Amino acid sequence: MSRIGVFVCHCGENISRTVDVEKVAEAARGLLGVAHACDYKYMCSDPGQALLKKAVAEHRLDGVVVAACSPRMHEKTFRKATEQAGLNPFLCEMANIREHCSWVHEDRDEATAKAIDIVHMLVERVKRNRKLQPISVPVTKTSLVIGGGIAGIQAALDIADAGHRVVLVEREPSIGGHMAQLSETFPTLDCSQCIMTPKMVDVANHPNITLHTYSEVEEVDGYIGNFQVKIRKKARSVDMARCTGCGVCMAKCPQKKIPNSFDRDLGMRPAIYVPFPQAVPNVPVIDRVNCTWFKSGKCGVCQKVCGPGAVDYAQQDEFVVEQVGAIVVATGFNLYDISEKPKGSPIKGYGEFGHGKIPDVIDGMTFERLASASGPTGGKILRPSDGREPKQVVFVQCVGSRAREKGISYCSKICCMYTAKHTMLYKHKVHDGQAYVFFMDARTPGKGYDEFWRRSIEQEEAVYIRGMVSRLYQKGDKIVVMGSDIAVGIQVEIEADLVVLATAVQPRQGAELLAQKLGISYDQYNFYSEAHAKLRPVECATAGIYLAGACQGPKDIPDTVSQASAAAAKVMTLFAKDQLEREPIVAKVNERFCVGCFACKKVCAYGAIEEKEIRDRQGNLVKVVAYVNPGVCGGCGTCQATCPSKSVELDGYTDEQILAMIETL
Amino acid sequence: MKNTKMTLSARTMNLDFVRKVEKLSGTSVRRCFQCGKCSAGCPMRSFMEHPPNRVVRLLQLGQYERVLAGRSIWYCASCETCSTRCPNKVDLAAIMDALRKCSWDARGPSKESFVQLANRIFIENVRTYGRQYEMRLAAVFNVKSGQFLKDIMLGPSLLAKGKLKMFHQKNRNIHEIEKIFSRIEELRRKGGAL
Repeated sequence: MSRIGVFVCHCGENISRTVDVEKVAEAARGLLGVAHACDYKYMCSDPGQALLKKAVAEHRLDGVVVAACSPRMHEKTFRKATEQAGLNPFLCEMANIREHCSWVHEDRDEATAKAIDIVHMLVERVKRNRKLQPISVPVTKTSLVIGGGIAGIQAALDIADAGHRVVLVEREPSIGGHMAQLSETFPTLDCSQCIMTPKMVDVANHPNITLHTYSEVEEVDGYIGNFQVKIRKKARSVDMARCTGCGVCMAKCPQKKIPNSFDRDLGMRPAIYVPFPQAVPNVPVIDRVNCTWFKSGKCGVCQKVCGPGAVDYAQQDEFVVEQVGAIVVATGFNLYDISEKPKGSPIKGYGEFGHGKIPDVIDGMTFERLASASGPTGGKILRPSDGREPKQVVFVQCVGSRAREKGISYCSKICCMYTAKHTMLYKHKVHDGQAYVFFMDARTPGKGYDEFWRRSIEQEEAVYIRGMVSRLYQKGDKIVVMGSDIAVGIQVEIEADLVVLATAVQPRQGAELLAQKLGISYDQYNFYSEAHAKLRPVECATAGIYLAGACQGPKDIPDTVSQASAAAAKVMTLFAKDQLEREPIVAKVNERFCVGCFACKKVCAYGAIEEKEIRDRQGNLVKVVAYVNPGVCGGCGTCQATCPSKSVELDGYTDEQILAMIETL
Repeated sequence: MKNTKMTLSARTMNLDFVRKVEKLSGTSVRRCFQCGKCSAGCPMRSFMEHPPNRVVRLLQLGQYERVLAGRSIWYCASCETCSTRCPNKVDLAAIMDALRKCSWDARGPSKESFVQLANRIFIENVRTYGRQYEMRLAAVFNVKSGQFLKDIMLGPSLLAKGKLKMFHQKNRNIHEIEKIFSRIEELRRKGGAL
């Protein structure tokens, strides 16, 4: 006969508002095998846990059911308390009468009856629970960082400085990301390159960091502490070991008119190129689509002029497999595109803003390149169409963002601040120019942010006009901006020389594909989801994978750096132990009944099923059965549902337990 | 004018005018972030076509003609509720004063209201008699504004209660008061007063 204790929580009023908790405790007391039942206002609080521990000792309990919130919330808490009371922690189960009952029902009597049923089911399950021991797995103390922007760089440096090896993978030929493209940064107006490039050099020189640029993550296998990552190193056509970065190849390349995407296609680059002069590593890449050699088999100039003989046209994509214990995802963002069918987006662009076909309507990042000292214009603000200096510049905020019609309802968070910065940069460079900003709200929550925004109005004399722009159209060499000042209630028209749109921040293209490789979840916009919005903001629900930067949601540089350091701290916490303890909720094979059909192997999402030979004493093969590697098993139970001979069972969720639970109803 | 479209450019935004107003009032219009607290507490709001916050907004956009065309600035009672409560220390009452001066200088008395007329007769009375002479104030105002019978029924009861005197009483130190007026006129000639 079991001696189970049932502990019913009020959860303040969250549960007791709709469920008569005393009645639930009363009913539980009458169940077969229940030795003790009580209720308490906050079971998770210190006195609540003390109540549980005391009851275990007093009533010599051999199982615990806590009727409270979801196990995702507090299962760990109560299992720990059970363990401290001297019981095996896996003899404690949660009956979810909050999310599954009180929060979703209104009728008190019916909700109470349902809560009693839930408790009864869990009592039957706990009766059949086995004592389990946590599984220890070794931890590979190497971390993978995906993305070499400021988030990835910060996380990599922090982890590497703690003495652990870091593998940094960057898709582009150079690390640096978006921050390397910026001119100056808010709210201090210090030069982005000046604070960014030293960090890039640190990454390249750090003995603990292995840098894979122009590479992509191909496959990810394994689990926390033991991931295997296959990285595709795209063919650079230049031998990294031999290249000295002298730049002769770039100077001699006859193809010089290729738009440089780093300069938002405003500047030109050769076919063999580094995206920008401060690139790390300073090794060029051949753009095989535009290179004459790859197009026609003629030319070969770069190979001839290369002193060290580093140019290698025959180079192929290479694959590297790295063993890592943790993964930091820092893939960053893209800017929303207003053209008719933005690439990889279900959202239609802005027809009323000319679908991106008006040459002097640019986005914020293009303006950054115009304002950057290392940009295509050498830091002069010039119109892309005719190279004249614009005297009237109109900035439009919230293009794409906060536009449900465009499928994006979130605020991109950084645009208010960078637009304020743009007005300042513009005023500093064009003294007789006038900047206008059309905005709906100015959202400046950050240290020194609101002061910065006010400064752009009060001192730099930007004219802020509250109200969204209705339409932009070309008229001669001007762009007519039609808006309205809603503070006055009058239509406003401005003939602008240049229009800068603060377009929405979106996740990187293909963010969802990477998420599928990693097995992490993402939201409707493809931003990666954190495990808990408030309390676990840098961890994924998938153990061992952490998030940093704008891949999780729009973020400015200070927030990105904070999150990257936080993710690094989480990785270091994981690496602080040699062995990792994980929950023993794994599948086990009954080898007597297993017929070796390996249907389970086909469905296992974790690759945990192995083939095991059973031999007799003489060494003759008796049969081949399935074996579940407990270190790899994710405890999902798919194999159990699939097995035709019912010989795989998941601890804590055996067929016997499930049937007993159903039978109570 | 009131609702026609605004075309903004360096030419159409008269920032010199705004700077003049800022200098006269000793306050910055750019500090205003349009929270609307001035309009929320303004006792004369319902008489104005541009509420106080919009007056500042139009100044920010250099639209002085729109501000001066309306009667808002003349209906401001200078109670200073707006200036007292402004979170940005924009002295709106002082801005209104400056705007009234600018309007007077530019186009004389407003056709939108009789406030200036009333003010002028009030001040002239003080200068002439050294104190207020209500009977004359009412009579001259009614004649000059063309509303001969305005508030005439209030007269008998005010007279009966002694609130309105038939004949004026002259201040003994009238020459001292004349000195004040002369000094202000002198200052005004030099541009030191509104």
